[in-house]
Amino acid sequence: MDQAKILVADDDREIAGAIEALLKREGYEVVKAHNGLEALDAIVTQQIHLILMDIMMPKLDGLSATMKIREQKNIPIIILSAKSEDSDKILGLSMGADDYMTKPFNPQELVARVKSQLRRYLMLGDIGNTGRSSQLEVGGLCLNTDSKQLYVDGEEVRLTAKEYKILELLMSNAGIVFSAESIYERCWNADAFSVENTVMVHIRRIREKIEINPKEPKYLKVVWGIGYKIEKI
Amino acid sequence: MVTKLRKFSTNTATKITAFILVVICITAAVAQMQYLAYKSTGMEKVFVSEYRYSQTFANDADNVFSQVHRAILEGGSEISGDSEFYYYITDGNKVISNPQNTNRRFFEQYDKAFYAFEKGVRTAGNNTYAEPINRYNLDSNYTMYIAFTNEYLDKKQMEWQEERNTLIPILAGGAACATAAMILIVFLIVVTGRKPEDEELHLSRLDNVYTDVLLGAYMPIGLFWLLAVGGVSNEVINGTSYQNKTLNGYHVASMIGVGINTSLVSTMCLLILLSLVRKIKGGRLLKHSLAYTVSFKIHDFFKSIFDGRMFSKYPLTKSLFYRQMVFIASSVAIIFFMAVFLLARSPLALLFPVFEVVIIYWYIKGNNRTFGDINNGFSESFQEQMRAERTKIELVTNVSHDLKTPLTSIISYVDLLSREENMSETARDYVRILEEKSNRLKNIVSDLFDLAKSTSGDIALELERLDMKKLIEQTLGDMEDNIIKSQLQMKIKLPDHPVFIKSDGKKLYRVFQNVIDNALKYSLEGTRVFLELEELDGKAVAAIKNIAASEMDFTADEVLQRFNRGDKSRTTEGSGLGLSIAESFTKVCGGNFKVDIDGDLFKVTISFNLDRNIT
Repeated sequence: MDQAKILVADDDREIAGAIEALLKREGYEVVKAHNGLEALDAIVTQQIHLILMDIMMPKLDGLSATMKIREQKNIPIIILSAKSEDSDKILGLSMGADDYMTKPFNPQELVARVKSQLRRYLMLGDIGNTGRSSQLEVGGLCLNTDSKQLYVDGEEVRLTAKEYKILELLMSNAGIVFSAESIYERCWNADAFSVENTVMVHIRRIREKIEINPKEPKYLKVVWGIGYKIEKI
Repeated sequence: MVTKLRKFSTNTATKITAFILVVICITAAVAQMQYLAYKSTGMEKVFVSEYRYSQTFANDADNVFSQVHRAILEGGSEISGDSEFYYYITDGNKVISNPQNTNRRFFEQYDKAFYAFEKGVRTAGNNTYAEPINRYNLDSNYTMYIAFTNEYLDKKQMEWQEERNTLIPILAGGAACATAAMILIVFLIVVTGRKPEDEELHLSRLDNVYTDVLLGAYMPIGLFWLLAVGGVSNEVINGTSYQNKTLNGYHVASMIGVGINTSLVSTMCLLILLSLVRKIKGGRLLKHSLAYTVSFKIHDFFKSIFDGRMFSKYPLTKSLFYRQMVFIASSVAIIFFMAVFLLARSPLALLFPVFEVVIIYWYIKGNNRTFGDINNGFSESFQEQMRAERTKIELVTNVSHDLKTPLTSIISYVDLLSREENMSETARDYVRILEEKSNRLKNIVSDLFDLAKSTSGDIALELERLDMKKLIEQTLGDMEDNIIKSQLQMKIKLPDHPVFIKSDGKKLYRVFQNVIDNALKYSLEGTRVFLELEELDGKAVAAIKNIAASEMDFTADEVLQRFNRGDKSRTTEGSGLGLSIAESFTKVCGGNFKVDIDGDLFKVTISFNLDRNIT
C-alpha cells in the first residue's frame, strides 16, 4: 500500500496547515480544502482515504458535506469541531461520520485516531463482511471467542482472563447496561459483595487498552450510578 | 469605680437579693400594721401624747355625762365607776351627787378635767379639754358639774403612755420597712433588664405577656389580698379583738396567713411591675398590648380591603385601584338609599338592586380588561427575558468558538515545535512551558464553557433513576490513580443499600470528580479526606471533608465564585472553576450544594431528594 491520502477540510488555514504538518510527519499525503464545496471537489478528483472535516465552514458546512459524501463513498470521516456538546457529537456521528473530535484537540490523539480509522478502512475492510460466528465485533473492536484474542483496529491487544470475560460479556450484549454486581457474578463466578471498586478498576484497565483517549471513551462507557456498557456502533 | 458599681448593681444576685428584701419589707410592714390593729383601739395614741386631750377621753367623758344625765332622768339608776369622778346634777328639784360638797368650787379644783353646765352655759376647767362638754346637750334647766379625779387621770395617763411606748416603735418600724421597700423598688426599677456585661435591654419570658393582660392581673391579685386583709379588719371592727390587749393563738395564725398572702401578692405585683418597667424601657409598653395588637389587626384588615393604593404606583394596576374605590363607594351609597326607601316603604327601593347589578357588571368587565393588559405585559417581559437569555447563550457559544479556534492552532503548532530536532536546551524548555500553559488554557476554556452553559440553564439533562452510592464508588474507582498519588487517606462511609435519586449521571460524576479532586489538591499532606453518604429526612446527603493545606482566608461564598482559589494554589494546574462547576451542575440536576469552612476544615455537602419510586 502506498501513502494514504488524507483530506483536511478546515476554513482556518493555520489549523489546516498544522494538521498537514502533523500528518506529513507520520508519512501521510495531505490535501487541503477550505470549505465544504472544495472538499466535495477533492474527493471526486482525487483518491482520498480519510477525511478530517470541520463543521463550521463557509459555502457548505461540514455536516452537509459529510452527508453528501456518504451518499457515494464509504471513506472514513473524522469530524473536528469546536462544538463540544454531546448533542453535537451525536448529530455528527448520525450524519455518517466515523469519529468526532473536539477542538482544541491533542495532536497525538488526532494522529492515533487517524491511524486507527485508516487501519480499519485499508486493511480490515473485508474481514468484517465475512461475519464468522466465533467473532464479536463492535466498531474497531474485534473479539475472537475461539482464540480468545482481541484486535483493536486490527492490532492485537493482550487481555487478562478477567478482562477478557468482562469484554466478552459486554460485547456480546452491546448497548446493554450491566451493573457491577452482575458483571462480578458472571465473570468471577462468585457472590457479589461490595465489588463496585474492583469492577471499576478492571473497567479502567480495559479502557486504557482499547481506547485511544481513556478519558473520553468511545467503546467502553460508564453509565454513572447504574453500571457499564459497550456502546453499540 | 462607676463601672464597678454598675457591675455590682446589675448583677443578678444583687437584683434577686433586692427583690427578696422588698417582699420581706412589705410583708413585715403589713404584719406590723395588723399587729397594731389587733393590739389597740386606734392610732390616736401616736399623735396625742396625753390621755385627757384625746378623743378617747372625750368619749369616756361623754359616756359619763350620759350616765349622770340618765340617772337623774330615770331616778336612782346606778352610775358605774363613780369612784373615778365627782358629779353633781340637779333639774331644779331633784339633786344627785357623790361628794357631800356640791359647791362649784369643790369641783373647780380638779381643773385638769372639770366640766360644768349651768343655765345653758357650758364651761370647762382652765386646763381642761373643752371638746366633750361642747358637744354634749342638756336642757337649760339642768345644772351639772363633773370632775375627774387626778388619780383616775394619772392612772389613765400611765396606761396611755405605756401603749404609746409600744405603739410608736412598731409604727416607726413599719414606716421604715415601707420606706426601705420603696427605695429598693426604685432601685429595681432602675436596674431591671440590665446586665453587667452589656448595655442591652434584656427581656424575660414574662415580658412576652401583653401589657393589658399584666395590668389586668393586678385586679384578681389585689382582690385576693383585700379578701384576706378585709377579714382582719372585719374582726377588728366587729370587736372580736376590741380592747383585747393580748394576742391569742387565733391572732397569730391569722397574722401568718396574712403574711404568706402578702408576700405572695407582693411578689407577683412586683414581678408584674418590673415587667411593665422593662416594657417601658424597651418602648413597647403600648405596642405590645392585646388592645393594640387586636386594633392593629382590625385596622390592617380594613386597610387591606381598601388597599388599592399600593398598586397606584404601577400604571397597569392603577385603574384597578380607582375602579375599586368607585365600586365600594357606589355600593355603599346604593345600600344606604335602598334602606332609606325601604323605610319609606317606597317601591322605588326595588330599583337599587338593579343599579347594583349594573355596577357589578361594570366592575367585573373593567377588571377583566385590566387583567388582560397585565397578562400581556407579563408575557411580553417574559419573552423579552427569554430573548435576552438566548442572546447570552449564543454569545457564550460564539466566544467559546472564537477562543477554541486559535487555541487549536496554538496547541498544534506547539506540538509540532516540540518535535523539531535542531533546538537548544533552553528553547526546548520554553516549548515545554508553552505546551503546559496552552493545555491549561484549553482546560479553562472548556470549563468556562461548561459553567456558562449550565448557569444559563441551557443544558441538556438526561435525568434518570440512579444509585448515588454506586456513582460515588465508580467515581472513586475512576480516580484511584489520583488518590494513590496524593498519598492522602480516604475515609469512606457509605450505606450498605442503594441510595436512589433522580439525576444526570454524567453531570453528577463531574460534580463528585471535581469535589474529590479539589480535596486531593488542597489537602494538608498526610491528613485524611472523609467521604460520607447517608439518608437524612428523605434526602441523600453526601459530605466530603478535608483539612486545607493553606489557611482559608475566604468565605464559603467566595470559594464558589468563579476563579477563586487560595493564593498559594494559583500556580498549580486547573481552571479554578471546579467547585463552581460542581455547584452549578448540582443545582441544574435538582440538588443542593453547600460549602462550609470551619477553621482549616473544608466541607462540601451535596444533597438530593431520594427517589422513592420503585421501578
